[in-house]
Amino acid sequence: MRLPSLFRRTPFRLTLLFLALFATAAAAVLAWVYVASANEARLRAEEAVRTEVTTLTGIYDARGFDALNMAVIDRTLTRDNFLYLLIDAEGNRVTGSLNVSPIQDYEGGTVWHTFPMTDTLPDGRVVRPQSRGVQMTLRGGEQLFVGQSLGDTEAYLGRLTQALWGAMGIVVLLGLIGGLLVSRNLERAMGRLNRTVLAVQDGDLKARVAVRGSGDELDELGQGLNGMLDRLEASMASIRHAGDAIAHDLRSPLTRMRAKLEVALIDAEAGKVSGPEALELALSEADDLLKTFNTVLAIARLQAAAGSGRIPDAKRFDAADLAADLAELYEPAGEDKGLEFSAEIERGLEIMANRPFLTQALANIIDNAIKYTPEGGAVKLRARRRSSGEIEFSVTDTGPGVPEEDRERVIERFVRLDNSRTEPGSGLGLALVGAVMEAHNGRIQLDEGPGVYNGHGPGLRVALVLAAAP
Amino acid sequence: MRILVVEDDAEAATAMVRGLTEAGHDVVHAVDGAFGLLEAQKGGYDVYVVDRMMPRLDGVGMVETVRKNGDQTPVLFLSALGEVEDRVTGLQAGADDYLVKPYAFAELIARVEALSRRRETGSVATVLKVGDLEMNLISRDVTRAGQEIDLQPREFQLLEFMMRHAGQSVTRTMLLEKVWEYHFDPQTNVIDVHISRLRSKIDKGFDKAMLQTVRGAGYRLEA
Repeated sequence: MRLPSLFRRTPFRLTLLFLALFATAAAAVLAWVYVASANEARLRAEEAVRTEVTTLTGIYDARGFDALNMAVIDRTLTRDNFLYLLIDAEGNRVTGSLNVSPIQDYEGGTVWHTFPMTDTLPDGRVVRPQSRGVQMTLRGGEQLFVGQSLGDTEAYLGRLTQALWGAMGIVVLLGLIGGLLVSRNLERAMGRLNRTVLAVQDGDLKARVAVRGSGDELDELGQGLNGMLDRLEASMASIRHAGDAIAHDLRSPLTRMRAKLEVALIDAEAGKVSGPEALELALSEADDLLKTFNTVLAIARLQAAAGSGRIPDAKRFDAADLAADLAELYEPAGEDKGLEFSAEIERGLEIMANRPFLTQALANIIDNAIKYTPEGGAVKLRARRRSSGEIEFSVTDTGPGVPEEDRERVIERFVRLDNSRTEPGSGLGLALVGAVMEAHNGRIQLDEGPGVYNGHGPGLRVALVLAAAP
Repeated sequence: MRILVVEDDAEAATAMVRGLTEAGHDVVHAVDGAFGLLEAQKGGYDVYVVDRMMPRLDGVGMVETVRKNGDQTPVLFLSALGEVEDRVTGLQAGADDYLVKPYAFAELIARVEALSRRRETGSVATVLKVGDLEMNLISRDVTRAGQEIDLQPREFQLLEFMMRHAGQSVTRTMLLEKVWEYHFDPQTNVIDVHISRLRSKIDKGFDKAMLQTVRGAGYRLEA
């Protein structure tokens, strides 16, 4: 059987649990108060009885049985909170407020006894309050019983018990109401979170939790959830973007390859053997495709690494060596294109990084600079330690540069500007740079180059900044 | 050259066997590491081409066993895993070279031939000679027909590699990997420019151009 929905809610169940614990504790306190009070009442009665007995035996010792008898008669009339019984040596009742001793089989000595005392109230009701008394044998063989009713104490204890039960009832009631309110509030807040989660589950990545600004844990949870969704949406967007770039970079060479193969086939069928040339071109397109494919794999791996927060295969090495090796590799290519290629490398730039990936990232930037700088221009590679202690690689060219308003966008997506997306590969090449820097917790900075140089410019300065090895 | 191809993908294996056969080699195909091991034990091979991931006994297991048996035949690993650590584990298992799938066929042939050549010239030659080109590995002097050629350190390494593989096609990727120790594809034709600089130093002023471009493959140093 399913419980009503309220009883399945965690806050309400917690409320019930706490109420049960509280009630148990209250009952224990109640029992303790009761026992302690009852004990106290008994001790007080005994003390009063003992004093009375001492007084009466004093009268008996000093002035004899008759004086005692007089005293008992007198007290029976004046002290109605005490019970008296005086019995002579023959065992006959002499005087007192009792007719018979409450101790039925008294055999001498001093005996304490607790007993119900039957009493008739003025309005005719019969009550049997607990009483406590002592019976003793005097020197002359007479017996004296003195007792006191615990009635007042009992009535007090009864009222106390009633009050405590009442208080507990109120506590339980208030607790239930409070629990209901808390669970309803919590349920509303959880409902908001749940609705968002379900909406996202149904594919609405834009759904967000409405944050009330109360700053409590649930608000924090909501904010955390929203932050997580923002991050997820951003990575989904970047994946979609990478997907578009891949589609673009794979579709063009595939289309060209298909066309060339088709032409080769037509030519071959027509007996014109231009086959080999077309096939060679198709092969070179296939090679481009393989390169693109490898880049995509590398980006995917780096993005996975960036998600885990650890640099894959990080090793400690001198970034100056990396920069010097690349300068040596690219310098002829730059000069071959009629560019002035120079390098300015500081020594001792220790970093913790994935060397192959960082090499490839910097190589892609140099590739790009060489590609976009017109003949007669200059490309300069620098590696240095910033005053902040970070290590910076920078490549400055004298190409057309990137307008300032586009730089943010270029860094964000780090793909080639749409209007220059004619040559395949570069878009992904720069996306790879972005992925490498992300995996290294580094950043990319774009600035204007040296200005107009040999009729071209203003140029572009791309800087890769990452932390020095600790 | 007798080549053992160990590859579980039937289509890839067929293409490889056909291509290597057409390149003039004697090729035997084994469908997994266990059969490869059996075939290798028969002996008489110049190179093993081993796929890394195979059912039953994989490439790493096979090469480790082959090396444990004292067989030093050069091994070329083929793998879809191209990360640094994958290369490292592959080479640690005893492979001599590592080619990441997908690859160009010219690349495979060039590497297979380079491996067999390495074995032949495993001696401690101090002077390399290709035609009238001479390289002294100790004094680091290079001469062609007696004329001294002045080379930069990297040009020297590049020429040394070409001379050790004289008569064979070497690909740009091979040069980038073996001479520069880089494992990526530059967008710019960096290798071509280095080669043309080297070419201008060793071929300029001579009738015969030794450093030749092989279309669709790379370069070849001819005597």
